[in-house]
Amino acid sequence: MPETALDTEAEPEPESGPVPPGPAALRRPMLLAGGALLAAGAVTVGVLTVGGSGGSGHSADAAGGPRHTTVEVGPSGCGRGWRHAEPGRQVFDLRNTSSTAAEVYLTDAKTGAVYGEVEGLAPGTVRAMRVTLGNGSYAFKCLPDDADAVTGPTVRVTGGGSVKSGPAAVPVTQQDLIPPTLAYQKWIQARTVELVQKTDALRDAVDRGDLAAARAAWLPAHLVYERMGAAYGTFGDADAVINGTTAGLQDGVRDKDFTGFHRVEYGLWHGESASSLRGPADRLARAVRALRDSWPDQRMDPADVGLRAHEILENTLQFELTGRTDYGSGTNLATARANLDGTRVLLGYLRPLLRTRATGLPGIDSWLDRTQRTLDSFQHDGHWTPLAELTRAQREKADSDLGELVERLADVAALTDVRRTA
Amino acid sequence: MSRVNEVGRRGFLASAAAVAGAGLVAADHGAASAAAQAHESASVSFHGRHQAGITTPAQRASAFVSFDVTAENRRELADLLRTITDRARFLTAGGSPDPLGITAPPSDSGTLGPDVPADGLTVTVGAGASLFDDRYGLASRTPRQLTTMPSFPDDDLDAAWCHGDLSVQFCAASPDAVLHALRDVARHTRGGMQVRWRMDGFVSPPRPSGTPRNHMGFKDGTANPDVRDAREMDRLVWVGEGSGEPDWATGGSYQVVRLIRMLVEFWDRVSITEQERMFGRARDTGAPLDGRHETDAPRYAQDPQGDVIPLDSHIRMANPRTPDTADQRILRRAYNYDRGMDSNGNLDMGLLFCCYQQDLARQFETVQKRLAGEPLVDYITPFGGGYFFALPGVRDDTDWLGRVLLA
Repeated sequence: MPETALDTEAEPEPESGPVPPGPAALRRPMLLAGGALLAAGAVTVGVLTVGGSGGSGHSADAAGGPRHTTVEVGPSGCGRGWRHAEPGRQVFDLRNTSSTAAEVYLTDAKTGAVYGEVEGLAPGTVRAMRVTLGNGSYAFKCLPDDADAVTGPTVRVTGGGSVKSGPAAVPVTQQDLIPPTLAYQKWIQARTVELVQKTDALRDAVDRGDLAAARAAWLPAHLVYERMGAAYGTFGDADAVINGTTAGLQDGVRDKDFTGFHRVEYGLWHGESASSLRGPADRLARAVRALRDSWPDQRMDPADVGLRAHEILENTLQFELTGRTDYGSGTNLATARANLDGTRVLLGYLRPLLRTRATGLPGIDSWLDRTQRTLDSFQHDGHWTPLAELTRAQREKADSDLGELVERLADVAALTDVRRTA
Repeated sequence: MSRVNEVGRRGFLASAAAVAGAGLVAADHGAASAAAQAHESASVSFHGRHQAGITTPAQRASAFVSFDVTAENRRELADLLRTITDRARFLTAGGSPDPLGITAPPSDSGTLGPDVPADGLTVTVGAGASLFDDRYGLASRTPRQLTTMPSFPDDDLDAAWCHGDLSVQFCAASPDAVLHALRDVARHTRGGMQVRWRMDGFVSPPRPSGTPRNHMGFKDGTANPDVRDAREMDRLVWVGEGSGEPDWATGGSYQVVRLIRMLVEFWDRVSITEQERMFGRARDTGAPLDGRHETDAPRYAQDPQGDVIPLDSHIRMANPRTPDTADQRILRRAYNYDRGMDSNGNLDMGLLFCCYQQDLARQFETVQKRLAGEPLVDYITPFGGGYFFALPGVRDDTDWLGRVLLA
């Protein structure tokens, strides 16, 4: 199994997959989707054309702030109040006149792409939606909690000239995220097997009293785990047992709850004896075995998948490129590279969803490559330069590349937030 | 967007009024500071022959940030400078941030509210000598006098707080606007540059009037050249044509930044007479020791032995006020800084000294060398800073910082 991006493997697989996400995670039954579409069609009224011919002209702002329009959100009046459509930067003050909370989208009437959203608009409240609209046809879509979506009248904006609409995208639904989530779970399952093998090698070396071999075996085992970042949330407490640091532990490196890779690392690089390390190494080996055995019964939340696309490397910036997680091995940069690999795998599975949505994908790919080149330049003949030995310029380069990458990956997380469409 | 331009045009008029108002300070303290206050949150025009933030009257809050460029080639450097220009143009005008819908996190941090006020923000960009090394093929375009800042005899420089490829001076009426701008620019340029060091500064309010005081209790910057006098600025601040500088540098200015720790506990144990003789001014009024008012000119000719204003006092060494030294004057734009405590429990505060000049050797370096060994040096420690060349201004919406340099 190659460790890096797997475009082909990321395609949705026809087989049913090992573990469907639990229905508890779903916000509403999937079967309603078809019905909701019908209902939405039923309440959509005819196209309302209002050109940019209102008295105030086409300027988005004549009096020091963006133009405001109050719009009603409710089952019988989704979008009511938008009478004088004008192009440009503007604010819709959304008033929920119904008795239930609702989500509201401003959509492209043709494609369903969303220009703006307000989530959880409580009954009786007003919240602002800021958008930029160019020429086109738009419609508000109201999604009351526990009821079908309602699409308001289509409103045509004209006279916008060169005004370009703000960016929009078709929402990603829970259903959209299930295939990549299943595929990623399956990939993780294979990693847990690999993790057990490599952690066993580490434990065996400690058992034999061969600490040089143990130091050599530590990194390969640890890196397998460091590639699995999107699953840590699902691992629950096991993650702290396997890869926790001394953060929050009263007695630091002497604390009885300091366990896992970093506990073993601390001992291996601080002259601890093999006999004192047998316990921690064995406990680690048992923990990863338990993880492997329990994984097939685990359910990843599809909402995690997109979020982790940037969170894995956020952690890298916070904990690896600062050296926070170094307990003696000086391998933060190797870990950063493993985190990058893990991000690539995840993006590979999300790629079918992103291709039609995210215009920034080529940029993300290029910064992934660039960051990888930078990180790889710190490895020579299998030896990774400790963070503290980088020159200032080298360190700035690593921080810079990774910093740019997380800025871009944040868009993936925003875009793949689970949304309803019906 | 039209909104941004409208704000910019309104802002230009407002900033012109602010400059005029601040200029009155010398003549009439009370009325003028009220006028300056009323206008300081308006927009300062970003476009012009010179960058704003140099002759702009010092806003209350600042951050001076040195960056190292991580762009991999000249094209990326140009992209970086274009991006800084775009962000500075928006931030200094103020306006409504781009709504990005569901495609991205919010485009603005929101720390200034949903609509970004200009708050008198200026963003001033300079280039350090290291930008002209072999990375971007700019060696032949180095400003004639731009070097790495040397260590002067009384300095104790810390490499972590020195130099840098680019300097960005953020100044605004309020600290939140300064931090908002820094955060915005950093967010848009992560792949192109990294912060090397940063120092935040503030200008104290007049106490009780006149030029604001530094941490030593003295008014600082009284004798600055008049920023309203365009010919004086052309003589002292701006690099002009035919000066021997590369053509691209016309309209720019040499920027010197010095991070100067003030040993305020030590200073507070010094008698008032000694303090005043070190500066050459009365602490209470800011007047030269031979005068009554802050704005009185010292009459050195009548005090050749330094009986009243010691020959080694700061004002006398810095600016002897002779015809020969008139062209050595610098435009000071200093801020106070405060960064907590040192390891011994002493206050870590001092001066974020910044000055602009046409000619480094003729002006800052000459003055700095003349000041070597002045009595004041026992109470200060210059530990950081750098030499930069403030780029020429951005002419209009299509222009960008460094365009001519990279052409």
